[in-house]
Amino acid sequence: MDIFLKLGWYFREQWRRYLLAGLLLIAVDVLELSIPWLVGRLIDEVLAQSLTTQSLLTYVVAVLVLGVLIYIMRFLWRLFLFSASFQLAERLRQQVYKHLTLMAPGFYNKHRTGDLMARATNEVTAVEMTAGEGVLSGLDGVVTGVLVLAVMMVFISWELTLAALLPFPVMAWFFYVIGTRLHDGFRDAQERFSDLNDKVQESVSGIRMTKAFGREVREDADFMQVADRAAEANMRVAATDSLYDPAIFITVGVSFLVSIAMGAWLIEQGSITLGQLTSFTMYLGFLIWPMFAYGWLLNLVERGSAAYARISALLDAQSPVNDEGVLSTAVNVDIDWTVTEFEYPGAGNPALKNIHLQAAQGEMLGIVGATGAGKTTLISLLLRYYDHDAATVLIGNQSVKNYTLECLRSMIAVVPQDAFLFTATIAQNIALGRPDASIEEIRAVARLASVEQDILRFPAGYDTLVGERGVTLSGGQKQRIAIARALLLDAPILVLDDALSAVDVSTERNILQHLKQARLGRTTIILCHRLSAVEDADQIVVLSHGEIKERGTHLQLLQDKGWYSRMYDYQKLEQAVASGR
Amino acid sequence: MHQDDEIPLKLNRRSLRRLLTYALAYPGLLKRAAVLLVLGTVGQVMGPVLVKIFLDDYVTQSHYPPGELLILAFAYAALYGLSAWAGYWQAMRLNEIAFSVVRSLRAQVFSTVIRKPLAYFDHRPTGKLVSRITNDTEAIKDLFLHVIATFAQGIVLMLAIFIAMAILDPRLMLVCLVIVPVMFAVMLTYQRLSAPRYHKARSILSQINATMSESIQGMRIIQLMNQQRRFHQEFVRTSQSHFAARMTNLKLDAMLLRPMPDLLRTLTLAGVLFYFGSQSMTGVVEVGVIYAFINYLSRITEPIMQMTQRLSMLQQAVVAGERVFDILDEGAEHHVSANQQISKGLVEFRDVGFSYDGEHQVLRNINFSVGPGEFYAIVGHTGSGKSTLMSLLMRFYSPQSGAILLDGWQLHEIDQNSLRNQVGVVLQDPFITTETVRDNICLGLDMSDEQIIEAAKQAQIHEFVMGLPKAYETPMDERGANFSTGQRQLLSLARTLAHKPRILILDEATANIDSHTEAVIQSALMQLKGKTSIIAIAHRLSTITAADQILVLHQGEITQRGTHQALLAQEGLYRNMYLLQQRSA
Repeated sequence: MDIFLKLGWYFREQWRRYLLAGLLLIAVDVLELSIPWLVGRLIDEVLAQSLTTQSLLTYVVAVLVLGVLIYIMRFLWRLFLFSASFQLAERLRQQVYKHLTLMAPGFYNKHRTGDLMARATNEVTAVEMTAGEGVLSGLDGVVTGVLVLAVMMVFISWELTLAALLPFPVMAWFFYVIGTRLHDGFRDAQERFSDLNDKVQESVSGIRMTKAFGREVREDADFMQVADRAAEANMRVAATDSLYDPAIFITVGVSFLVSIAMGAWLIEQGSITLGQLTSFTMYLGFLIWPMFAYGWLLNLVERGSAAYARISALLDAQSPVNDEGVLSTAVNVDIDWTVTEFEYPGAGNPALKNIHLQAAQGEMLGIVGATGAGKTTLISLLLRYYDHDAATVLIGNQSVKNYTLECLRSMIAVVPQDAFLFTATIAQNIALGRPDASIEEIRAVARLASVEQDILRFPAGYDTLVGERGVTLSGGQKQRIAIARALLLDAPILVLDDALSAVDVSTERNILQHLKQARLGRTTIILCHRLSAVEDADQIVVLSHGEIKERGTHLQLLQDKGWYSRMYDYQKLEQAVASGR
Repeated sequence: MHQDDEIPLKLNRRSLRRLLTYALAYPGLLKRAAVLLVLGTVGQVMGPVLVKIFLDDYVTQSHYPPGELLILAFAYAALYGLSAWAGYWQAMRLNEIAFSVVRSLRAQVFSTVIRKPLAYFDHRPTGKLVSRITNDTEAIKDLFLHVIATFAQGIVLMLAIFIAMAILDPRLMLVCLVIVPVMFAVMLTYQRLSAPRYHKARSILSQINATMSESIQGMRIIQLMNQQRRFHQEFVRTSQSHFAARMTNLKLDAMLLRPMPDLLRTLTLAGVLFYFGSQSMTGVVEVGVIYAFINYLSRITEPIMQMTQRLSMLQQAVVAGERVFDILDEGAEHHVSANQQISKGLVEFRDVGFSYDGEHQVLRNINFSVGPGEFYAIVGHTGSGKSTLMSLLMRFYSPQSGAILLDGWQLHEIDQNSLRNQVGVVLQDPFITTETVRDNICLGLDMSDEQIIEAAKQAQIHEFVMGLPKAYETPMDERGANFSTGQRQLLSLARTLAHKPRILILDEATANIDSHTEAVIQSALMQLKGKTSIIAIAHRLSTITAADQILVLHQGEITQRGTHQALLAQEGLYRNMYLLQQRSA
């Protein structure tokens, strides 16, 4: 139940809504209970033959008015209570989202998208249920229960009440047991269902295999096995669910039997009237809901607590990097890497060793090497994705830690390896970093990135929707749009991290030519596998296993006859093979 | 994903009817469920009648003969017991029908889908197909499990209640009957108003989730561009519009769904009281009747409310049904009765041309012929068309021009079983199931231990298997993690050899393995030479030096052919490829 304490901040903040909802709920309960009382009075007057047209009308009008009042109040408490819980859900979603925007990339390496999504979807819903239906069943369950009992005891007969109540604890117990079993069964059914999904996924992806080996019949059998397990789990849930009605039936039946029998005896004794007995049986019906509510409440609380704990854990997660720098401008953008040793958290072996590397403002720096040699790590340190004592990166003679993250990021435009496009138009994707850019500016950078012709071929040109729900672009088109996006920032440092890999050689040449003109006097860092991209660089370094093995200009490196020149020859041959020679 | 959420406002009656006919396959269960339903309902409705008799005939008369009362109490208890029992078993029977229907529907969709021609899968995202087989059938399950049960129970109960009311007091029944059309009107109004609004809220929610997921994946870019604030603000806006949409629904629910039937019931109660009160002033009334009516009234609203809530489920189920039927009706791959058998192992490509989209030609004028027992290799750069050639040979697709012949027969003239037994395939990514080693070799077919061991020996994996804790009965870990990549490949080779194929196709089977395993496979293949025709699509040229003929493919055409030695001797693509691989090693 401490979930209600943990959500206390929200209840306090929204106390008006919750208070009003609570008061209305109590009022509705009181008014609802007065209807059976009126009915009982009416019956007694009929039996006593004291009913007049006047009093009959009073009774009928009273019932009518009560009905309408209850209706209005029920409408209102729902509005207050559920608007509060809906709002909580949105608040949590927004908080989660905001928190995610503050997390450095290291955080995303540790958490999978699916897991983060689960917290933002199912678990938010579970907490919302606790703050809405949970509060309702807790509060209304208690209020109805207490009120009904009080009325039955005070106005009718406490002996009769006690006797009639005997089966009810059994019902509450039934509800709890069924509810728990239902919940467990439901979870099991969900797991079986996801097995089913996995199985079908596997079969559909392995369809070639199935066809090659003629395994269709076998696949059918395997599928049916999984499907049957899913159906059995579902069947168990349905069977448990079907127990609710008999449980209610039997306990209520026993209770009715007891109260009618004993009520008759009490009427005979003269301690209650027939009208009171009628009201009494109506009240008994009101007791089913509280019994149900307690069982439900326990389940909701259980689920809500687990969900809220996981959401809180996410909201409390610290970013691997703190934004404590103060500088908001740099004197120049000379870059200096000094890395004695850098190791990714939990990696076990260093990703970079003994790196001393400078790139003066306006220089073009090429970083080459095999996959896993540490090229991207250099950029990650420049962008301060990680803080490490044995690795310092200076920009304009100041450690990157001394700049605000915003300033640091605004100095560097990066085209990452995977060109990620959002579900938006091409123009919006290019203008991602500068949403106010004019279409002329967007077109200018698209031309620099040699992608305008491709864009204009799409039906809606720059307004074509891309991303998950839009048109599919080729890898090369995505990369060039990502380049245009980075160029629009016009940042003093531009980093192309293997950003030309899916572009053919002649287009690559064009883009590099454009860059040379457009980025005069500014720094460009090119990381690549294909050496043709760095031929014009002022400085090229060759990384191998985290260390700088060779450095110099293209011509110098070719003369050194090291890895670089071997790779250069190899790629030339590769080029020949790819073109069929 | 997005389009799946679209729920049209009009119900497709044809699909609904077709779905319902599935239940007719279980007439026994249906009959039993119906009998139980009626029994349970009668039991429920009789309870208040007994109380009425008790109140009117005994209590008001102050007449308490113990014997009669005992019978009454016993009847009452028996009735409750009966309806609890019948209610439970009726629900269970309906559950059984629901699950049987879904079971057969699932089996039907699944086996239809996996028998579709391969081209069918090219343009359909896996996720969508999976969703058809799982989510859609699940939605149909809800139709039988919840919708039909709720409607059947609700309607029968209401009928029974009104019949009981009519027996007790026909005129008072008419007073109560007014509530029915009003409630149905409310129910339909609610449905009409809420369906589009719920749909709107749902689609905003899926937008929220899509944005969230996309932002998580693209967070690095958002941060690099310093756009966190803008994205957050946009998210907050969407989240707020979701809240607004849900509030609209909440108001609608609060106005028409829960409190409304209660209001109507209270109004009817007032009517009943008025009728009863005025009757009492002019004549004699029975208190038991009013008791029974009040009791009945309290039971009428619940079923109507439940039916209202089930309407959207009904709609979703019918839409899901439509999509499932679309798949079923498209029809599976039909095999014309082909009965030619393969016995020699002669493979011929005659002027084969192929294009996936009808625009870009992937293969052109492919001509070659592999004699029985010959070893042919096909090499080429990425995108040269090797894999497509393979797919044609395995009959995943049919060539647009030319013909592929085995033993002189066209592929479609050959008996499916013969084709599958006589043409063995080893793929680059061996397919391992989580069964035992044995199962992975025989793939669920009848095979003696000797056959299995012989195949394993041929593939040179027998000794390794014998070293495993349970030898051939050792279960494979998920995706074969207890085997190395090379061993998995050998296992896959053993599986293929176990079928003793006339023709063996190796699709880059040695691309991912170490040179030791490669040598092992080489020697295994050498033993097959002369007995089995082999076509190997190779990445590593070192694996095909012994081939009788090597075909070099470039941009869909055979540009060079000859033995390894002959090709190496000429200046050209093969030689360059060979040099390239020498250097990268």
